[in-house]
Amino acid sequence: MKLEATDRTPAISLTQDPLKLSISGESFPEDVSAFYGDIISAINQLASTAKGKLDVEMAMVYINSSSIKAMYRIFEGLDAYRQAGNEVQVTWKAEADDDIMQELGEDFKDRFQALSFSVEQHG
Amino acid sequence: MDLSQAISLRNSLRNNHVIMAYNGTVSDDLMVTLADLLKERLVANDDVKRSKLIFAVFMEGVQNLIWHGKEHAENMGMILITENNKEITIMCGNRIEKDKTQGLKDRLAQIEGADKDTIRQLYREGMSHASEHEGPGSGLGLLEIARRSTQPISFTFVDVDDISVDFILAATI
Repeated sequence: MKLEATDRTPAISLTQDPLKLSISGESFPEDVSAFYGDIISAINQLASTAKGKLDVEMAMVYINSSSIKAMYRIFEGLDAYRQAGNEVQVTWKAEADDDIMQELGEDFKDRFQALSFSVEQHG
Repeated sequence: MDLSQAISLRNSLRNNHVIMAYNGTVSDDLMVTLADLLKERLVANDDVKRSKLIFAVFMEGVQNLIWHGKEHAENMGMILITENNKEITIMCGNRIEKDKTQGLKDRLAQIEGADKDTIRQLYREGMSHASEHEGPGSGLGLLEIARRSTQPISFTFVDVDDISVDFILAATI
């Protein structure tokens, strides 16, 4: 699955080989549930369609509170994949001057403490 | 409105350091257009961290107007942005149904007077319950605004008639 970024929606890619989920960019779609519906379903099905270590890389620039609701469901799906016996490594990247995205990464890490989760700032 | 009234309105906007004023229907398209304008203005400001705070507060404030406007009162949205002594204040107002204000008042009471750590904890708890929130919102918008503001948020409810009330929220960064 691969979606290109737009002015208001992030780039999303989910690949099987290597097993990796990447989400990056802006997120304030007009219809959040329509935009994130497919990726949430794909992640919820991961436990039956994939096996082994999943790398997750998130690099958001701006995300509205409505998208956070969708993002939370994505993390719930990732946590379910972990509970199915797989390793999940989340890397949350924030730009060096972006305290908001840094804090949001820490907030998700706090909510999903069983996930291997690193929050990094990049120059 | 005649010209002299227009002049006094203009003077009032100037005297209050208004940099953006809108009254009417608030749509998703309008939000994107105003957001682009605001971004352009903020890019001129070299403080990137502060610009991000301002942008986040603006987006959440305007999204609240889009999602929580009273039906048949679409033209009652208000967006006012003032800039005074390097402080930006964003005010968003809309008309809502009186019988739907209690939940809003409860949430505001929780946020009012809470320190930043408490707001962050409320936000984290809110994240866990976001998917239970009805409609397009997440229930996190007010917390997001309070969290990004450099001063406590302020708000008021103005009675319109038996069924409607105007709600105005102000946040300063």
